Amino acid sequence: MNEYEIQKRYKMITLLVLIALSVIFGILSLFVGRYPKAGFTPPSLFYTDSVARTILTKIRLPRVVLALAAGAMLGASGFTFQLLFSNPLVEPGFLGVSQGAAFGAALMIVLASTSSLAVQVSAMAFGLLGLVFSHFLSTRFRFGGALLRLVLAGIAVSAFFFSGLGVIKLVAEPTKDLQDITFWMMGGLWNASWVSIIPTLVVIAIALTILYVNRFTLNLLSINEKTSFSLGLNPKRQRTMLLVIATVGTTFTISVTGLIGWVGLITPHIARKTFGSEATHALPASMIMGSFFLLLCDSFGRTILPTEIPIGLLTSLFGALIFVIILSSKRQEGKA
Amino acid sequence: MTYLSIDRLSYRYPSGINALRSVTLSIEKGSSVAILGSNGAGKSTLLDILLGYTSSTSVFLYGKPLSKYGRKELGRLIALVPQKEQFSFAYTLLDYTLFGRAPYLSPMGSPTSADSLISYEALAKVGLGGFENRSITALSGGEQQLLLIARAIAQESEILLLDEPTSSLDPANRKRILTLLKQLHAEGKTLIFTTHDANFAYELSSDIALLKDGMLLDYGKKEEVVKSELLTILYDTQLTVTEIDGRTVIY
Repeated sequence: MNEYEIQKRYKMITLLVLIALSVIFGILSLFVGRYPKAGFTPPSLFYTDSVARTILTKIRLPRVVLALAAGAMLGASGFTFQLLFSNPLVEPGFLGVSQGAAFGAALMIVLASTSSLAVQVSAMAFGLLGLVFSHFLSTRFRFGGALLRLVLAGIAVSAFFFSGLGVIKLVAEPTKDLQDITFWMMGGLWNASWVSIIPTLVVIAIALTILYVNRFTLNLLSINEKTSFSLGLNPKRQRTMLLVIATVGTTFTISVTGLIGWVGLITPHIARKTFGSEATHALPASMIMGSFFLLLCDSFGRTILPTEIPIGLLTSLFGALIFVIILSSKRQEGKA
Repeated sequence: MTYLSIDRLSYRYPSGINALRSVTLSIEKGSSVAILGSNGAGKSTLLDILLGYTSSTSVFLYGKPLSKYGRKELGRLIALVPQKEQFSFAYTLLDYTLFGRAPYLSPMGSPTSADSLISYEALAKVGLGGFENRSITALSGGEQQLLLIARAIAQESEILLLDEPTSSLDPANRKRILTLLKQLHAEGKTLIFTTHDANFAYELSSDIALLKDGMLLDYGKKEEVVKSELLTILYDTQLTVTEIDGRTVIY
């Protein structure tokens, strides 16, 4: 066995350990919540109390599953975006996707309904619309390279949606709709029920599988485009395909969870620091770390105070802290 | 049948500027061809077309149009050493060299231990053996160029396209690269490289194509092509070809 194989095996074992830890932590988090009181729920209660059992299977379990799946999706799409844009500081919030989704959700809340399904569909549709707009605008720009044009178009589209969102908030009915919008924008998993999350879980599973099997290709798309072409790729087509997959996965995810920032920016960094930059192991590591991070934030948010702290606030808080630590540490990769 | 042929190739940029005008070249297997010309002569465009990156129906390999080859099939025949690589992530030297194995992997596969052995050998060959786990972001300009060549060696292609392989290197690294490329040529690889350095072209090549304003000024054995009059026309400045201690020098 040469050194390459030894390293590969070592990384594989570390990944398996991380998966095991996430599962154990997931199981443990089923026993925390606010019933019968905030904090730890003794396992014996699930035998005696039917309400506790219902809460376990119909509220906490789907919620934990959603946290694991959404975290993995956000971690994977952040990682994918960073490689596809050859920039370690990019995340799925680019390209007008997140602001588009936020606008779509707010629009549906004000115009028609606060039913979670309608809000989800609208968020998803406008998130994808954000991507399409960004792409279209980037083809009209007469400045910079293709990637820079796309990012600039994303900023412009985000700004459009942001101002639209501002108008919606102004006219929103303050006691009900405005609160819903604000809550959605802070992100949260409290909506999770089996019915509401299953379509999202299916999409996430498909998106993660596609990204995972293309993990070696992702490396090749992060280098000089002519080099990746010479290595047998069709860079433009493969980049677009993976970008769409990552965006669809992200939009489906935030359509259920509300806006959750920073996961896609932070976990790829930690994954690369732990497993090296090569995506074969760093991509799955980014997924697992995303799951773990989101589960941690969610468990913290729903137990630490009598009222729930929106998860988006916690991911921003912890994410920004980690971000500052990463950027202040001595060794950094590549360009900013 | 000629190995690699370019038949009356013309190329116009979308902006309307003519980059190449009716260029015809025939390249033998195992030769080392320099595409020599000043900046803006169309060298890079020609290299892009030879790579298949810019598509054209005028380039044939083994008599078959380049555009008819599958992407991976072409990756096993032609490797590129770009002038500069984009290193945004801290890949190790081994990671990057393993990228050269991509044309041999199944669509969703990743490198095997056999691929790793080929990559270790390629790194050792360019003199970077023992540094496999170093980060590519810590390399000097000369070492980066060696690494790009190692990746192309790992690709095990017949043809090596090199875009200005020594343009940004100091004399010591220039010599190192020259020796390495001469060795690869001696081992039977077909080299095609662009350069504006006439001395480098003369040292490495067997044949030279002189490209001026998108047109082929002359093409043939280097001894026949490198003449004071032709080079003077090529660069629009007085150049002299002379022999010093048995070596041809252009100044």
